[in-house]
Amino acid sequence: MQELKPVSFAEGTAPVGDTAVFEIFIKTTPERLWKAITDPEQRAKYSFGVPTSSDWTEGSSYEAGVPGVAQIAAGRNLVVDPPRLLVQSFTALWSDDVRAIGETRVSWEIEPVGGSCRLTVVHDQLPEGVNAEIYGGWPMVLSGLKTLLETGELLDTPGSLMYAQAGE
Amino acid sequence: MDLVFKALADPTRRELLDELFRQDGQTLTALEERLPMTRFGVMKHLRVLEEAGLVVTRKRGREKLHFLNPVPIRLIYNRWVSKYQEPWAAGLAELKTDLEA
Repeated sequence: MQELKPVSFAEGTAPVGDTAVFEIFIKTTPERLWKAITDPEQRAKYSFGVPTSSDWTEGSSYEAGVPGVAQIAAGRNLVVDPPRLLVQSFTALWSDDVRAIGETRVSWEIEPVGGSCRLTVVHDQLPEGVNAEIYGGWPMVLSGLKTLLETGELLDTPGSLMYAQAGE
Repeated sequence: MDLVFKALADPTRRELLDELFRQDGQTLTALEERLPMTRFGVMKHLRVLEEAGLVVTRKRGREKLHFLNPVPIRLIYNRWVSKYQEPWAAGLAELKTDLEA
């Protein structure tokens, strides 16, 4: 196992109030997009190599992590309305700093627009002066999701698959 | 991506983005107070930024809040920066900041 070099997403990330908003247009169907978000294997391909596992029923729990390598996040599925809306409680676990932030909330909103989907990720219930590390990775995750669904390829920008590489 | 470059080509719109970077989630009224411009002018520029995806609005109660959306910038980074030797670009940007300080 090679040494893990986490990429910091705090640097250069805009400060936010209690809410961070991320929007992206992806040329795909809501159903394919929903699957890419909830399928552990697909999810890992654009989320730093980390799968997210859950049975995706309302009130159920979910876990994101690579066993033996890293625990990334955990929480509950508060609203599960496929293929339109997924609201989750989100507790970041990848470092002591982010763990100290406690529980926040992440909403995935999918809206079909023409032949594409508008995906809006709202990361809110953030405490005052929150460490940008907890939401700074979303632009990379969402651009990787777009690349995956539109081309089938993976991003190779620094850090984009850092946990998958560590596990090899 | 054309829309993003066009939106960024205007100094007032860059100022609006900087203002949202300073404080995210502002109302039109708050942004209008920050810029020496009419409400209509600010609205027009915000619309261009929204069409480019650089600004996203969300309703909270009766207020419409404007949020900075960093994703289009990330897409430009993926397409134009990481490919063209990011360390060089970062070095040049730092040099410029130092010289202008």
